[in-house]
Amino acid sequence: MLNAMAHKLILRVYRYKPDREPYYDTFPVEVPDTANVLDAIERAWDDHDRTLMFRHACHHASCGSCGLRVNGCEKLPCVTPVADYADGATLTIEPMRNFPLITDIAVDASPLFERMQLVGMPIIREAEPLRADGKTIFPEGVRDFDRFENCIECGLCLSACPSMAADPLYLGPVALAAAERVLATSSDSAKRSRILELIDDEHGLWRCHSAWECTEVCPYQVNPAEAIMRLKRIVAAEKFKRLFHR
Amino acid sequence: MSVEVEPKPVGRKPLQWFDVRGRRVGMWAYVAMRLSAIGLVLYLFLHLVILSQLAVGPSAWDGFVALAKSPAFLALDVILIVGILAHGLNGLRLTLVGLGIGVPRHKTMLWIGLVLTLALALLSALAIFAAEG
Amino acid sequence: MNKPLTRERAGSWSWIFQAFTGALLLILLGLHMVAQHFIVKGGLRTYADVVTYISNPIIFVLEVLFLIVVTWHALLGVRAILFDLGLKPAAERRVTVILTVIGVAAVGYGVWLSATLVARGVS
Repeated sequence: MLNAMAHKLILRVYRYKPDREPYYDTFPVEVPDTANVLDAIERAWDDHDRTLMFRHACHHASCGSCGLRVNGCEKLPCVTPVADYADGATLTIEPMRNFPLITDIAVDASPLFERMQLVGMPIIREAEPLRADGKTIFPEGVRDFDRFENCIECGLCLSACPSMAADPLYLGPVALAAAERVLATSSDSAKRSRILELIDDEHGLWRCHSAWECTEVCPYQVNPAEAIMRLKRIVAAEKFKRLFHR
Repeated sequence: MSVEVEPKPVGRKPLQWFDVRGRRVGMWAYVAMRLSAIGLVLYLFLHLVILSQLAVGPSAWDGFVALAKSPAFLALDVILIVGILAHGLNGLRLTLVGLGIGVPRHKTMLWIGLVLTLALALLSALAIFAAEG
Repeated sequence: MNKPLTRERAGSWSWIFQAFTGALLLILLGLHMVAQHFIVKGGLRTYADVVTYISNPIIFVLEVLFLIVVTWHALLGVRAILFDLGLKPAAERRVTVILTVIGVAAVGYGVWLSATLVARGVS
């Protein structure tokens, strides 16, 4: 931190404890300008209030547990530089939307994992098209691939999605992106049928209204919106095929 | 020691999808799409109701035609045309990307749609007011 | 892979219909705007001109087709917006029924109105 300058921020933090109404606490903090927003939140915890609850673990965008909203927009605070905000700025720190709130800015991430299990997330590893020697092999009929393992399951896309806000049963961006990976990488017809059945539903693929917010907030290059557009094409084509080949 | 934590149920607000604070252009397009949709549906039914003047008879309809040629009505027509163009061109964009066409270019298409909307609306406005003047 | 979709839900069809009717509307609404308003002096026909106009069989068919497609597209859109308010399944079914009734009534009214005008022109 030799060349780091002090960066002052005012954190306006959403507080909720189960037996009282939510409110905001204001914590002035000072961190090096090379710090990230998560460091600032930890500073607030350290200097001001040890009852402030927030989820965090790895501090380098790998565990996906610290997702929250800064000034209304979903961020992974462990990799969001404080320098993105002016010295002296006020940051409103709020929990992710569309998740059950446990306390303060800590949410219960189970809706995310329930959805990943619906699309059979464990099978994704099986489709990993990289061999030990590093040479890429593509399954038959697959032209290219994105490593869906890029997804760190942070849930920012579920918080940002307007359809997620409207429909509690919506499958959501991340699970649809995972479903697209299964269809793109698996030739197991039973598995494909199950996925197609799952996503072709009012609470599935068709609840997406193409606002592209999932892709905008994704801290990696998962790009759920593009995956969903590919799914729409696949499912619409299947529907038409079925219509004419009964 | 274990602590039992009961998560608070998700507080979904039905109109949360209308909240564009902190959001990007895709969300703005989505909200504009819905607002124009609501406006156009209201207009469609208003239009059908007004057409009932035709059933009433020649004098009722021709009376409405005279009223509809006032500048205030013509200005409303221009707003209607902006709504139709914005909704229609954005709808075309969403249909194309939903069919997998031009997906990485969706933002470019959005801007093209916006420019076309403004240009065609301007031309229509000129045509409408020139015809009157 | 012959029949991968084992469940028939309205979901995908409503998107496909919305896209399809939307594309049709680009053409039909364009025709409607040009034929009904832009090429007409002053933008609106007098009663007598409307009667002559709608009595053209091609115009009659196109206008009725336009009404069907635009009503369908509009009400499917209303349905999507209402469903996003977080309705219960029973309420969703009621919404679908009510909107279907409104749609049929609107198209019926339009056909009746056009036919009435054609009849007046003939008599």
